[in-house]
Amino acid sequence: MTKSEMDTSIITKGRYTYIHDVKKGPPEVIDVHHIVVARNGAGVVKFCACAFLFAVICFLILLLLQGKPVAKVLWSFTFAAFFLKQMLRKQVEKGSVIILPAFGVQLETIYRSGRTVRHFVPIGKILKPVLNECVTPVTCYWSLSLILRGEEELLLVFKELYPPVSMLVPIWKALCAAIDNNERPEMQSDCDTRRFTPKR
Amino acid sequence: MSQQGKHRILMVSDFFYPNFGGVENHIYYLSQCLIKLGHKVVVMTHAYKNRSGVRYMTGGLKVYYVPWKPFLMQNTLPTFYATLPIIRTILIRERISIVHGHQAFSTLCHEALMHARTMGYKVVFTDHSLYGFADIGSIHMNKVLQFTLADVSQAICVSHTSKENTVLRSGLPPERVFVIPNAVDTAMFKPAPKRLSSDEIVIVVISRLVYRKGADLLVEVIPEVCSLHPNVRFIIGGDGPKRVRLEEMREKHSLQDRVDMLGAVPHAKVQSVLVTGHIFLNSSLTEAFCIAILEAASCGLLTVSTRVGGVPEVLPDDMIVLAEPDPTDMVMAITKAIELLPQIDPQDMHNRMKKLYSWHDVAKRTEIVYDRAFKCSNQNLLERLPRYLSCGAWAGKLFCIVMIIDFLFWSFLQLWQPDQDIEVVPDIDLTSSQTGEEM
Repeated sequence: MTKSEMDTSIITKGRYTYIHDVKKGPPEVIDVHHIVVARNGAGVVKFCACAFLFAVICFLILLLLQGKPVAKVLWSFTFAAFFLKQMLRKQVEKGSVIILPAFGVQLETIYRSGRTVRHFVPIGKILKPVLNECVTPVTCYWSLSLILRGEEELLLVFKELYPPVSMLVPIWKALCAAIDNNERPEMQSDCDTRRFTPKR
Repeated sequence: MSQQGKHRILMVSDFFYPNFGGVENHIYYLSQCLIKLGHKVVVMTHAYKNRSGVRYMTGGLKVYYVPWKPFLMQNTLPTFYATLPIIRTILIRERISIVHGHQAFSTLCHEALMHARTMGYKVVFTDHSLYGFADIGSIHMNKVLQFTLADVSQAICVSHTSKENTVLRSGLPPERVFVIPNAVDTAMFKPAPKRLSSDEIVIVVISRLVYRKGADLLVEVIPEVCSLHPNVRFIIGGDGPKRVRLEEMREKHSLQDRVDMLGAVPHAKVQSVLVTGHIFLNSSLTEAFCIAILEAASCGLLTVSTRVGGVPEVLPDDMIVLAEPDPTDMVMAITKAIELLPQIDPQDMHNRMKKLYSWHDVAKRTEIVYDRAFKCSNQNLLERLPRYLSCGAWAGKLFCIVMIIDFLFWSFLQLWQPDQDIEVVPDIDLTSSQTGEEM
């Protein structure tokens, strides 16, 4: 694809980078939004320290059991490696939203371990995309979700990511525009996207 | 943080909608009137069953239902420091300038005020109830109150009696306490369009049927009044542990046709029950203010009440007949009220109440308190610690340790997640139909 067929805009804030690609190829314009999580230097150190601590604890627990010390050391490192792998599986490297007009929305999550999870939602199934403020006992963050017709639960667009709201807003607006275009043109737009523009 | 003298206020309490009560209504009406005056108000409370997260109420009032489970009488579990992260997040993301806590019995309020002071915000506290001094529960709570109020910017009480009580319990200097009475929504509490006939006198009682509200007094008073005045009927609205006693009384004296028990009356239906009566009877044993008699007066009812707490300060002398909390005295007061009834004009009473009490007036006076709080100087931890030391020989040192640990925890949180990393919420204009946004 040549450069003239693609428009790209990038916003970076903290660990998160937002990339917006518009692929103008035939037959339709495809809107692609990526949110990339940078590798956290301090996080890697913390992570290795946690893994080492975990190995030490496993070793001490196994000390209580009778058996060969070499086997115990091997077992504790096996546990630590297993624990490491589980944590890597959870770590997200990139989340993408691909809007295929009049067809649907594809949600992709790429993990650091290389695993990719894809989920396609037909455009007719989406009632509305919403920006929610989620409150937990210790913090409060924004999340982008889709209200699906006939389903009780909201579908989270970015499951394990907590990107800043300034990156979620353009994706929300694009989703709203795609849903509105899908419905009859004479219907009034429900998403008043003009009222929501956060400070960058 | 405040533009053109307008503040951004965080109201904190364990008591808010969907519960109904004096404190809950106070916070709601005050917040709505402050929003009308141009301030931004956010409310923080704990989650109620599955009502958790962010909700918006009329006028764009934003409510945070923080998912902390209540553990005792609607109060959040007191963990001292566990609420610091969420309170810090809310204060930064909403760009709050002043924190207003309500009700001494609310643990969330005390924790929020403590953390807000640690982080350098201005703090205002409103006390809604009277408390004792002698029993073990009161002694502990008064100590907690002393701790919270040791460093509060300003305090508000709902009556002069309440101010005396709060000042004595907490050791706060009286010049820092303002008296701003509650008010009543006179648009909602209107008298009946057609005046009731005086053939049968109806006495209305609407209260929680608990010891504190004098339900035991009612058990003595009602049979006496019924035997003295054959044309008197009672309507009792409300529920509680003492309901059984009232029903037994009704059975014993065969008053089933003269005493109606309605059970719990939802707040929206209170006005329709009040307008069916001529006299409102309040038998509370203790009351800091008593909004119930305001509602009754606004509906044009003559009030008979016990002379306790702040009740004498609420209504003018010609709208209320006071009695000691003693059955004989109360029966005499009811007799006097029945004689005064022909002179009462409900519509005239309602009009007078409209002039005397209004939530807009309360909001304006609260605004003055906020402005005064803003003028208080900013002090760092070392300058504030002596205030805690004066709370008591052992308690003072304990409070100082608590505040120092709180400060250290806050400093740690600032390193873990700096203030700039917490996103500020954009102001969404939900009220007007304009497409512009404030920022």
